[in-house]
Amino acid sequence: MGKLTASGGYVELKFGPQWKYIAICRAFLQNFLAVSVDDAKKSDTIAMAASELLENGVKYASNDGTVIRVAVTAEEDPKISVRVTNSATAQQAAELKEIFRKVMSGDPLQTYMELMRQAAVREDGKSQLGLARIRYETNARMHLEVSDDNEITIGLDV
Amino acid sequence: MAAINVESIKQDRIEIRVEDATKGAVVRFIGDIDMEDPSKLLDPFLAKVHSEAIEKKLEVVSADFTKLNFLNSSGIKSIAKWVMKLSTAEHKYKLRFLHDPSISWQATSLQTLTFLVPGAVTVEK
Repeated sequence: MGKLTASGGYVELKFGPQWKYIAICRAFLQNFLAVSVDDAKKSDTIAMAASELLENGVKYASNDGTVIRVAVTAEEDPKISVRVTNSATAQQAAELKEIFRKVMSGDPLQTYMELMRQAAVREDGKSQLGLARIRYETNARMHLEVSDDNEITIGLDV
Repeated sequence: MAAINVESIKQDRIEIRVEDATKGAVVRFIGDIDMEDPSKLLDPFLAKVHSEAIEKKLEVVSADFTKLNFLNSSGIKSIAKWVMKLSTAEHKYKLRFLHDPSISWQATSLQTLTFLVPGAVTVEK
């Protein structure tokens, strides 16, 4: 685990769910993590994961904003948490639940490889690889919450 | 005469240059692949690279990712599609992924792609 170079803190961003804002958020979060965690590899890996979660947060969003919160704790063994929240339709929420269930089953690498093989023959423009990539490359604890009114929060803790 | 007849492309924040190399060709990815659907750009382009490599019986094609800052999972899907073509290609060429160790995602993401067709792809600095 990396060391904190400053005391623990967090950032929270909310944006209208448009694809073009994801890169801007990613760059901001990369900078935040770079100054908060004294481990370049970990910072970049979490920034990648945050970007993939933001892509989900835009794809599976209704017209309301998408919110990302990244927090770094001020402990001797600092923890990084990422939460992305957005409103979705019932169908989007159901689809995401099923994808999450598939991603979280089995060995992370084997699941990722199998989903990659399936994605490679898809013709619908979708990959559905983002969550599997996060699970394998970050080794983070991941969780999905869907509220009664279909507000989705996907999180990871490292 | 050019090793392969594939034109370089530039769209959004990604530029892909095709250059001749010893016994083959180099495909250089420069910028970011983070579009919502990169397959529209990458799939036909990489399919052309693949078919040209087979037709011209190239020994090696190098994919240079050293200047690629970001590759989203949708882009990984397109690279995976290319790699999987190697398993059934009538002419087998070596596919080398060139990576920058200082760009953290490259070591893990690119290495994972080599598992799709064991022995067909290497990851090098």
